[in-house]
Amino acid sequence: MAEAKSLRERRFYPVLFMIIITVIFVGLLATFYQLTRERVETHRQMVFKTTILQLFELPTDDLQSTYDAYIQEKMLDGRLYYAAMDGDSLIGYCLPISGSGLWSTIHAMVAVSPQLDRIRKIEILEQNETPGLGGRITEEWFTGQFAGKMLVQSGTAVLFELIAEDEPAGPMQINQITGATASSKAVVDMLYKEMSGFQQTLIQGAAQ
Amino acid sequence: MTKKEIFINSAFKENAIWSQILGICSALAVTNLMMNSLVMGLGVIFTLALSSSTISLIRDLIPKRVRMMVQTLIIASYVIIVDLILKAYMPQMSKALGPYIGLIITNCIIMGRAEAFAGKNPPLDSMIDGIGAGVGYTVVLMVIATIRELFGFGSLFGIQILGEWFTRWSIMVMAPSAFFVLAVLIWIIHGPIAAKVGK
Repeated sequence: MAEAKSLRERRFYPVLFMIIITVIFVGLLATFYQLTRERVETHRQMVFKTTILQLFELPTDDLQSTYDAYIQEKMLDGRLYYAAMDGDSLIGYCLPISGSGLWSTIHAMVAVSPQLDRIRKIEILEQNETPGLGGRITEEWFTGQFAGKMLVQSGTAVLFELIAEDEPAGPMQINQITGATASSKAVVDMLYKEMSGFQQTLIQGAAQ
Repeated sequence: MTKKEIFINSAFKENAIWSQILGICSALAVTNLMMNSLVMGLGVIFTLALSSSTISLIRDLIPKRVRMMVQTLIIASYVIIVDLILKAYMPQMSKALGPYIGLIITNCIIMGRAEAFAGKNPPLDSMIDGIGAGVGYTVVLMVIATIRELFGFGSLFGIQILGEWFTRWSIMVMAPSAFFVLAVLIWIIHGPIAAKVGK
């Protein structure tokens, strides 16, 4: 009688099957992840360094040596930022910023003048906004609007005002993306929050 | 059925989009550019071929009650592998497609083929069926994308075709236009074409 039930008719069989197949496929994924990890990481570093150099309009043909010559990585209050130096003179600062977008966290890089009062350029590194709508925050016409804008107005950080896509923008205004108000606002908000925080810590750091 | 019949059947006769109305969500989302549609189609063909043959290979072992969980697990694993390969070897493409790759998991065609075909047929047939369904899907995507990109951007595969005189139809860039284009396409296939072929 004990032999009557085969393994596949047993009640625990589905559970056992699920466990085995999960282990197999998770193992497969882990292997693939390990195999590609180094390549993905190297590539990510390259993109990161290229972005920093581009933000300061430096040549990117000889990536590593240009990066080493011009860029200094610095820490302040536990956050990493980058200073671009041409010999002894400071070209500007560059720091990674992030904030919550509509669907996930947006990561960006912003380069500012040595006095921290003017934006040189911004670049969106990672985002998962709605493709075709919020996803357009990475487009040049949107990020390009921030270039050259003042960050500080009479001692306080500037929160840019969003206006419709086709209206002419003033010095403290940004054209938002039609159909993607939340994503446009997320970029402006994170810039304000992160930059005012950075200005304060840097000023405090300088005073000490 | 011969291998050729299996392919033609799943690609055209039982075409996922126009005859089963499956996989519509991604057909609407990615078709504003031809390049995105093509890579999405290739991703779906690859995932379908692998998931269908794997599911077929272990079809006798899968307990009926948990088969959907098993299918999802297998499909998700292959999609993540596609994502990792793109990230490592085609980073530009990976960046352009971003969230779409993950969306392959939720593409109902893959689970539809697993349920309708791979669960009952041998691995090689299932693989052909999967590739067929993927090709059928890609063909529809490309047709819609051609129309949308041409009228929405005036270009094909990013190459400008229509000159400065052309006023872009913004509606074609947005998702709702895919509804119209797809509806007209389904109508043409079910009406005039079906009448000719004698369905």
